[in-house]
Amino acid sequence: MVAQECSLPASSSQLASARAYVSEAAAAFGLDATSAYELVYGVNEAVTNALRHGAPDAGGMIQLSVSDEGDVLTVTVRDAGTFRMPMPDGPAPGAEHGRGFALMTRFADSVQVCIGPWGTAVSLSKGRA
Amino acid sequence: MSSFFAISEDVTTGEIALIAMAGEIDYAVSPQLRERIFEHIEAGRRHIVLDLSAATFIDSTAIGVLAGAVTRLRGGEQMTAVPAEGAGSLAVVCPDENDKVGQILRITGLDAGVGWYGSREEALSGLALTG
Repeated sequence: MVAQECSLPASSSQLASARAYVSEAAAAFGLDATSAYELVYGVNEAVTNALRHGAPDAGGMIQLSVSDEGDVLTVTVRDAGTFRMPMPDGPAPGAEHGRGFALMTRFADSVQVCIGPWGTAVSLSKGRA
Repeated sequence: MSSFFAISEDVTTGEIALIAMAGEIDYAVSPQLRERIFEHIEAGRRHIVLDLSAATFIDSTAIGVLAGAVTRLRGGEQMTAVPAEGAGSLAVVCPDENDKVGQILRITGLDAGVGWYGSREEALSGLALTG
């Protein structure tokens, strides 16, 4: 079920708000401090990708939603752009780009990418101990 | 709500530039970090010391800036290669207590390409020894 949803202006100045939003939801759900940090870190990367490679909706916004099922909390980041596939082997060590997706998968228990004509949704899940 | 960060710098010698960053280094901030570092490189400074002691968060875009800076300081050579004679370097100050930032430096592999020091003094004396 969708517990809560918010829209954020597609601007890097909103990243701190996105982190605070997820941090509050994680605390309310009962994730421990480490799991909460890891989920916040992953979502920050997903929002950053949406800002860099995605596209805002007609109103200039991207969407964040939080849902829970049993002991798993899921945060979904939705934008109206097309998904940029991560490089399968990661970036070259000295490259400036290409680390975000690897960090998301490292910190979330699972990452799901849903691509449609409406855009891209990236969902990161984290379990409660 | 906006993120808290502060950037300050102190050019200590002609060849060494020191930049200190505090707070959350995310995509709202990393372009400024990139600009600052690359200004120093353009100005001919071969060694950059980045003090992250008071940083509380570092994202992939900031790590990318640092990886790009290492490549540039080494004259385009990949940061996993042994640096050429006379190559420039990036030193990062991140004490063990700052495990949030240290963890990201490690898992992105950035630690392989930078000099990692526990304090600003150690970084500056390390650079003075290696020249």
